[in-house]
Amino acid sequence: MAIRIEKTFQIQEPLESVWAFLSDPRKVANCVPGAQITEQLDEHTYKGLIKVQVGPSVTDYKGQAHIERLDHNSHEIEMVGKGQDVRGKGSASMKMSGSVRSLPEGSSEVMTVSEINVVGLLAQLGARMIHEVSNKMFEQFTANLRRELEKERSKQSGSPNSPAEETGNEPQPIKALPIVVSAIGESIARSVKQIFGGNKDP
Amino acid sequence: MTAIDRNSAMSTKVRIRFKINGADHEAEVEPRLLLVHLIRDVLGLTGTHIGCDTTSCGACTVLLGGKPVKSCTLFAVQVDEQELQTIEGLTENGQLHPLQEGFREEHGLQCGFCTPGMIMAAHALLKKNPHPSEQEIRRGISGNLCRCTGYQNIVKAVRYAADKIK
Amino acid sequence: MLQKTSAEVGGMGHSVKRKEDLRFVQGKGTYVDDVRLPRMVYGQMIRSPYAHAKIAAIRTEAAKNHPGVLAVITGQDLEKAGLSWMPTLFHDKQMVLATGKVLFQSQEVAFVVAEDRYTAADAAELVEVDYEELPVLVNPHKALDADAPILRDDREEKTNQIFHWEVGDRHRTDQELQTAPVRAEVRAVFQRCHPAPLETCGCVADFNPATGRLTIWETSQAPHAHRTLFALVAGIPENNIRIIAPDIGGGFGNKVPIYPGYVCAVVASLQLRRPVKWIETRSENLQSTGFARDYHMTAEVAADADGKVKALRVKTLADHGAFNAAAQPSKFPAGLFSVCTGSYDFSTAFCEVDGVYTNKAPGGIAYRCSFRVTEAAYLIERLMDVLAAQLQIDPVDLRLRNFVPPDKFPYQSPLGWTYDSGNYQAAMNLALEKIGYRELRKEQTEKRERGELMGIGVSSFTEIVGAGPAHTFDIVGIKMFDSCEIRIHPTGKAIARMGTKAQGQGHETTFAQIIAQELGIPVADITVEEGDTDTAPYGLGTYASRSTPTAGAATAMASRKIREKAKKIAGHLLEVSAEDLEWEPGRFYVKGAPSKAKTIQEIAFAAYTNLPPDLEAGLEAVHYYDPPNLTFPFGTYICVVDIDKGTGEIKVRRFVAVDDCGNIINPMIVEGQIHGGLTEGLAIAFMQEIGYDESGNVQGGTFMDYLVPTAMETPNWETDKTCTPSPHHPLGAKGVGESPNVGSPAAFVNAVVDALSHLGVRHIDMPITPWKVWQILKEKGVAE
Repeated sequence: MAIRIEKTFQIQEPLESVWAFLSDPRKVANCVPGAQITEQLDEHTYKGLIKVQVGPSVTDYKGQAHIERLDHNSHEIEMVGKGQDVRGKGSASMKMSGSVRSLPEGSSEVMTVSEINVVGLLAQLGARMIHEVSNKMFEQFTANLRRELEKERSKQSGSPNSPAEETGNEPQPIKALPIVVSAIGESIARSVKQIFGGNKDP
Repeated sequence: MTAIDRNSAMSTKVRIRFKINGADHEAEVEPRLLLVHLIRDVLGLTGTHIGCDTTSCGACTVLLGGKPVKSCTLFAVQVDEQELQTIEGLTENGQLHPLQEGFREEHGLQCGFCTPGMIMAAHALLKKNPHPSEQEIRRGISGNLCRCTGYQNIVKAVRYAADKIK
Repeated sequence: MLQKTSAEVGGMGHSVKRKEDLRFVQGKGTYVDDVRLPRMVYGQMIRSPYAHAKIAAIRTEAAKNHPGVLAVITGQDLEKAGLSWMPTLFHDKQMVLATGKVLFQSQEVAFVVAEDRYTAADAAELVEVDYEELPVLVNPHKALDADAPILRDDREEKTNQIFHWEVGDRHRTDQELQTAPVRAEVRAVFQRCHPAPLETCGCVADFNPATGRLTIWETSQAPHAHRTLFALVAGIPENNIRIIAPDIGGGFGNKVPIYPGYVCAVVASLQLRRPVKWIETRSENLQSTGFARDYHMTAEVAADADGKVKALRVKTLADHGAFNAAAQPSKFPAGLFSVCTGSYDFSTAFCEVDGVYTNKAPGGIAYRCSFRVTEAAYLIERLMDVLAAQLQIDPVDLRLRNFVPPDKFPYQSPLGWTYDSGNYQAAMNLALEKIGYRELRKEQTEKRERGELMGIGVSSFTEIVGAGPAHTFDIVGIKMFDSCEIRIHPTGKAIARMGTKAQGQGHETTFAQIIAQELGIPVADITVEEGDTDTAPYGLGTYASRSTPTAGAATAMASRKIREKAKKIAGHLLEVSAEDLEWEPGRFYVKGAPSKAKTIQEIAFAAYTNLPPDLEAGLEAVHYYDPPNLTFPFGTYICVVDIDKGTGEIKVRRFVAVDDCGNIINPMIVEGQIHGGLTEGLAIAFMQEIGYDESGNVQGGTFMDYLVPTAMETPNWETDKTCTPSPHHPLGAKGVGESPNVGSPAAFVNAVVDALSHLGVRHIDMPITPWKVWQILKEKGVAE
């Protein structure tokens, strides 16, 4: 099941700090809910884990990510990843390209295009929801990214009000059930919007 | 409902009390036990059937507090202090209920697998709406799938029962 | 020919209320999952998420050590017993549990047995399998490409082609098509769908070490054949195997094959010496058990300028999934598909079919298909409409022009079938009258002027059922006869058993009615049993509408044997010679002196108390019936649809079904069969498909996506009949159960295409969803 997702978001941080963060896989993994890097194989290849929880059932995917291209001049990144459910219930693979550009007033815009392919149980039951779940994951990721960049900035500026550092090493699994439930809610809200007014994408 | 911690290594069992087909019952169940398994496996009332795993088919329909529910989508613990009726509870003193009679008279069943759930759904319908139109009957049983009959004779069977109950 | 019986006796033609209903309406049926035995345990299957992958490792320790788990069986374990592969019903083998690699999503990989269902499910979560994904093949058209992955390394020939089959006169047909004044063609895909009976498949395997007997309660449409196969494959003496097919919640062909779950449950029971229950879930049922159809067909017709057809050429690609498990007679790799000349008098025809492997579940013969007759009838009925549209001839007139006329029966079709009897015009005319065809065409013209979309679809199908004569028909070598054994008790009541096995067809009533017809014993006094291989005579089971043509005939013949003996006893009692006796249902009387008579009940009593010296005691008979031919039921279906231009929704306004199945045993039951089959046809035409994406993920693997019509979508069906008896069947009867599924998809599709034909639409593949229709409307500029 192949899905293409395009996401663009703005962030109130200058291009250089955003790019520095996004070109560091460990920092990025930290922002992806439920993910952790377990090993670096070489300069561009990493092994990792991601935990997904749907209701009471937790699925652990383990896999590899490889940075195909990292261009510090054009601020473009291309990455491929592939993971398998450790118990053998399926797999997922992803090809992502991302770029960052400057916006006025010291902010930046991040653009990503991902192609995701899912095989297994999730592709049967979750086919409809994969889009919505990815959206939710992305939202959480960008929220985490903003928070981490904010933390870095306040650390640098030595602000006394900097938020306490997160010490948890255990990646919190994505609780996909709340994600799914709110994703359903969003689906419905979207249809309602379409019926009652406006052609704008919510 | 009372929690019983018999063995901390196993999931905690819960004691529930309920009435089924007019008789009082008590059982100790895991919280995750589905109502349909309570009915079929624990109580041995195998008239209620399982036809799917996505709450789509209605073969497991029983009445809970008089309302039709899909017993595969409820936990046994949810019927604590409640009243259940299954197909086995429809026959009174060896007399067939008009619905059961109607299904036979009008050839409203072939393999019989959907029949208990279908009859319970129709039973709930007729209690709420004793004189349903054809459309109302079809809507009333739209939660129950049948592969054999094409529903036409089932509608006639429900109509037969509605006329008889009058 | 058939003497009338009273309603109380209930012979042929009476709409006797069904005997089986009493237990079903009270919830007292015994389906396999209702069977509860002391010390019974539960099995659960672990299945592959991948369509094509090597199995690198399976880790079962955690599962084995989980409290309450009794066994975890893998393919490697079965290999040691020589059971990791088993023969299919069609010249192939399939994996019981995967060894080496998996070939379709949801394929069986391991089997867990535990004290209860929930523990088995917990344990299944603990089994870990390492897979290495392999390239996936889901498009049958790519199966024979040079770079296609070869799926079956276990086969000697490294190819994805299973078979090539052809029949007919290729040369003459090619010539006709080259020289014909008119040529028309249709490419039609009959999509993969699934019979989805409401009860899923399952079994309870109970090996009793004290007696050495293995009893298997099984959802099986063919219990005897299963018993023989278990004996041959597992090496258990056949007299020590008892298969009981109890009440079955619908079969529709889904319950003919032997599934890995049954084998694993048997193995587990032999190992654990306890009863092992295995009941699959609906998802497992839809994703791994015998699917139906998946035929990719091209048909070409050569005709003269008036539309008189001359030649038919058909080429089909058959997607069989990962194993060839098509449950059909062994000499017919494409089933009875060669009946595709249908009801029309072609002078020549040629048909070829290529079967291929893909990474999908195995199967192919199911869902009331009559061994691929559904595909054949759909194809020819679509082709006739395409030809009619091309020539601008009314589709009804085109059919009437081309029907095999009644005086040509028995009719030899150019593809080798001898149709026993038929009167296609009569069925058509009755249908036309019932629906008011000419008025509907007028209405359509008026509606078109107003821009409204209305269509009329006709299907005049010929069915071919009752497999079959021993010289041509066998399944894995077992000839397709069937049987009946009847025993009359001293007080005139009877018990009878047949080799068939109903799953809702009402045999307990209808077969009793045959005996009632032949012997005059009331239906209420006759007990009919099927499905227990310890007591029933050997038969090939119930599917492909074969029961009445084979076991029904056997029942009549056994009854007649009993009547022969009864006549001798009557002669003895009345002190006349047997030649001086006449029969009417229920009694023998002396010719010319009708008051001098003995009832069948008196004769039965005498069979045990007062016999002529040269006769054995008892009054019973058994008959194994080898049908001389198949039977050919037929009919005309007409469907009227209205299409909503805003949503693409199709509303079936009316559907008239005229069926001819010869002499009818129970009209009420036949009507019920038609209602059910038409509803399945509706589902196939408009709602159902088991699809696969490019990674081999099943789409439509649960009832959320694989849709079954509810009472809301299903219209009222108008049924009627004509009667053209079978000349060779002892009761003049033909089969009928599958006719509605054979004939109706074309009627539905023809109606929708007809509604859009003025816009230039000639064909739409099923399922015709509102989305598909709306896209066409948009493309043609008429969507609202």
